[in-house]
Amino acid sequence: MRDVAIIGAGIGSRWGKYSGSLIEMMAKASLSAIDDAGTDEIDAVFVANMGAGRINNQTALGSALIDYLNLFPAVGASIENGPASGATAARIGYMAIASGVHDVVMITGGEKMRVAPGPVVTDFVATMAHPEAEYIHGITFPSLGAFLARLYFEKYGVTSEDLARVAIKNHQNGLKNPHAHIQQKITMEGILTSREAKLNNPMIADPLHLYDMCPVSDGSASLILCSMDKVQEFERTPIIKFAGTGQGMDTMAVHEREDPTFLKAVKIASDQAFKMAGLTREDIDLAEIHDAFEILELAELESAGFYERGKSHLSIREGETELLGKFPVNTSGGLKARGHPVGATGVAQLCELVWQLRGEAGERQVPNDPKHGYAVNFGGFGNNVVSTILSRITG
Amino acid sequence: MSEHIPFGYKCLNCGKLHYPKHGRCLQCKHREFEKVPVSSEGTLITFTQLKAPPSGIESRSLFLGVIDLGDVRYTGQIEVESIDSLHIGMKLVATWKQVRTIDNRSIYGFVWGPP
Repeated sequence: MRDVAIIGAGIGSRWGKYSGSLIEMMAKASLSAIDDAGTDEIDAVFVANMGAGRINNQTALGSALIDYLNLFPAVGASIENGPASGATAARIGYMAIASGVHDVVMITGGEKMRVAPGPVVTDFVATMAHPEAEYIHGITFPSLGAFLARLYFEKYGVTSEDLARVAIKNHQNGLKNPHAHIQQKITMEGILTSREAKLNNPMIADPLHLYDMCPVSDGSASLILCSMDKVQEFERTPIIKFAGTGQGMDTMAVHEREDPTFLKAVKIASDQAFKMAGLTREDIDLAEIHDAFEILELAELESAGFYERGKSHLSIREGETELLGKFPVNTSGGLKARGHPVGATGVAQLCELVWQLRGEAGERQVPNDPKHGYAVNFGGFGNNVVSTILSRITG
Repeated sequence: MSEHIPFGYKCLNCGKLHYPKHGRCLQCKHREFEKVPVSSEGTLITFTQLKAPPSGIESRSLFLGVIDLGDVRYTGQIEVESIDSLHIGMKLVATWKQVRTIDNRSIYGFVWGPP
């Protein structure tokens, strides 16, 4: 197996609402990554997307992107794995290079979700749930997030204030990210404790409020992966190594899990990634965590092994996961502030790690020369999870 | 067996009960199952009041929960007046009702309520 480097990362335009076509939006991110890498000699393109066939009436996006950008003779395909499509496409790109099939692979994730009314988008995302046991009953992803939050409140003493603290932190980071969909400072008073809070922050799925969950976004992100034995040809330093990748599965119906508060697939994916990278949790300098709901940031940090079970909310109370804290989490703003165009999220998480490890993250750069970054991209409601570790090996 | 009683799928090799259906047993990977009735009464494990229902649900708010029937669990709608009527550990019983529409088709399932 060959080692793999990331030589290009790009998010073409600010996330939120994009007025052009899905392919144009993905092309912007792709060109940004191509320019960053300094090469357009790409062997293969894997496009991560969940729902263009349903909400944008377009399929076969890999072919479409290659055609639009004249990347011929590159070959391509679309990868669909729900909200974990992005990291899954990156993992498949890694495999394609490690195996020796390709030398340079572009991964582009994109989703254009704001074309449909809210209830239709909610229903589209809910189609990932179990069709008979969950979906037909009106189960949506916010309701699954609410089930988890209520169990955490009951079992571990997590509170609405803790979830608000996660949201406030991620909004604070998002203010420093020019690509973030939501660039808005929020306060505990404004979203939870004042009289106006009920209007500002209505209950969506009790006990989850509007600000306990990510927005619906348009957005795209792109990476260029390259075989380590070819990386010297591109003069893109410091070199970022695709050091570890893991993928874990769990039952599709959440109620079939023995302990619904433990995200087994996150543990499996993380253990694999750490084993492959030869690192421990203590080696990780920063993390991008899939906070589609703020409760998930807390639960994933525990299931990934960074905190003891039921203890991660203490870290947010103590400021440990803030930008200048001991262990910065979601420096990009996370899904909460950067946004969550589902196919793009896992790719954007890795873009953020690349920029942080290179020291190119601007105002939100974490101090102390970070060397290793971790990301978790959470598919379904935790039934298909991909974890990735990136490491800076030069510079 | 009536469709209108909660049921599970019992593995004909190891006896494990499943809901929903699987093609192979989650415990022993056996492929044959028998559809068997399970209790119509269960215990609420977790719940929510969803105020942003998906398309296909006509009401503006929906009570949803996970109900433990002993051998299997169900996820479904709960009929109560207010979220204050719900608490973890309360008893709920199943009735068979329309739960939503999909592409203008009426979809039926188990709806849960206090005994």
